[in-house]
Amino acid sequence: MSLRAKNRPLWTALVAIPFLFVAIATLQQRIDAETRPPDNQKEELLLPSGALLKKLSMGYDSLFADLYWTRTIQYYGERVGTRHANFDLLYPLLDVTTTLDPNMIAAYRFGAIFLSEPLPLGAGRTDLAVELVKRGIKENSDDWALYSDLGFLYYWRLKDYPNAAKAYLDGSKTSEGPGWMKLMAARVAEKGGSAETARMIWTELYQTTKDPNVRKWAATQLDGLAALEDESHLNVLSEQYRKLFGRYPASTKDLRDARLLAGIPVDPAGYPYAIGEDGKAHLAPESPVQEPKF
Amino acid sequence: MTTSSAMPAVVAINTFREAVRDRVLYNLIFFAFLMIGAAILVGQISIGIERLVIINLGLSAISLFGLVMAIFIGVGLVSKEIEKRTLYSLLAKPIRRWEFIAGKYAGLLLTLVVNTAVMTVGVILALCYIGRPYMPYDKEVLIAVYFILLSLALVTAIALFFSCFSSPMLSTLFTLGIYITGVFAEDIRGFGKITKNPAIEGLTKVVYYLVPNFHNFNAIATASHGQLIPLSLIWQNTLYAILYVAVVLLAASAVFSRRNLK
Repeated sequence: MSLRAKNRPLWTALVAIPFLFVAIATLQQRIDAETRPPDNQKEELLLPSGALLKKLSMGYDSLFADLYWTRTIQYYGERVGTRHANFDLLYPLLDVTTTLDPNMIAAYRFGAIFLSEPLPLGAGRTDLAVELVKRGIKENSDDWALYSDLGFLYYWRLKDYPNAAKAYLDGSKTSEGPGWMKLMAARVAEKGGSAETARMIWTELYQTTKDPNVRKWAATQLDGLAALEDESHLNVLSEQYRKLFGRYPASTKDLRDARLLAGIPVDPAGYPYAIGEDGKAHLAPESPVQEPKF
Repeated sequence: MTTSSAMPAVVAINTFREAVRDRVLYNLIFFAFLMIGAAILVGQISIGIERLVIINLGLSAISLFGLVMAIFIGVGLVSKEIEKRTLYSLLAKPIRRWEFIAGKYAGLLLTLVVNTAVMTVGVILALCYIGRPYMPYDKEVLIAVYFILLSLALVTAIALFFSCFSSPMLSTLFTLGIYITGVFAEDIRGFGKITKNPAIEGLTKVVYYLVPNFHNFNAIATASHGQLIPLSLIWQNTLYAILYVAVVLLAASAVFSRRNLK
């Protein structure tokens, strides 16, 4: 066979394959549009029973747990921030993950935050979050972080201060329970519902979590609390201004001109605060900062 | 005397005969037992979902059996001929190497078609056994079987490609690897999106379009629930399989034509 004839299939392949791949990619886009429209995705969990899956996994349950955990993160990531987001499968996925691997602390902690967070950022199911974290505590009774999460759920979501204080106190009794948990228990029991206590809880969550999603969310909450604190200070200054000039300031610029402020204060997102006709400071309408409600 | 243009057909028929001689189709006996057992048991253990169970089980078994055949026979198509030294006498005949590849591919595909057709008859018989009349949406079951065949055609081509330059053991691993990657292609792209890193997102997108997307061919759940499979999807999946098989066979021919067989 001549060299030319021998090389013919190679050259044909080199020329044709790139064109064929372009055609394949184009076709795949059409198939995607046909079979997986983004707003019409059918959600299904083929094996909703973690116990059954554990038996079927033939000893590879921890590997399966890792796969389900990965799928959970992906499931949440795909939906968060989208219109009409729903997280119906978030609890079943976390349930399967933690049944397969009851020691997967990250899954309990993730669930505590995002199962309880209201829509569109979470499933809005504090009851399921409490159930999951309690199960986590049952399986990992010496992990103080889970008690901290339970305390957070009772304090922040359910406003159940006695149970929150109890959770923090129980956490402080674990072998590695940090000292601040005892302090937190006392503080929650004494001053439940205050912004200062809330900031302590979010700060601890921010510092102790390893999950970037949770950390980001804790930072958002801390920004909101910082904004509330700033507004509280501005309200005091606004009252001082009224005593001096007989009217409320129209903006923070008036406070600066009256030398009550050294400059124009901005919120954690960098937007200047606004002052209403009633003299109360509030976030600028365009500010992305979300203030917590007490 | 056989003309040169008929050589791939001769190779194909011989490949099919060889598969029959190797008792490859014996898996049908196991499949028959599976379907008979399922048909008898399903009535005892499930209420109202007999059809669903039979279709899910039958189509999954067709897919799994076909996959095992496509991979394990596909990876030995070329290497076995080299090992047995039968390839040398074959290539001494007026046959080009790409024709040999095309013939081998067609032969295994024919084996798979026959195997799948018999198994499909088994599923239909099991459906008849559970006493269910013919329903218009039963055609979706046949479409699902057709999609399984398309995916098997792709797997066969990939196995054959690796068989052209690698040992059967490594070829099996490579083919399985590509198959698993193809099944999870959508998840790979999904991971890229979550990272919010443009470089990783771009990379996973490229991987998504490069690997064979086996998820396209999964219509088992749709068929078992009697949901309609659009006609456009049938031709799109057909064209996708043809194009991808063409890519892989072109690559296989290119590699095999340059392989030193001495």
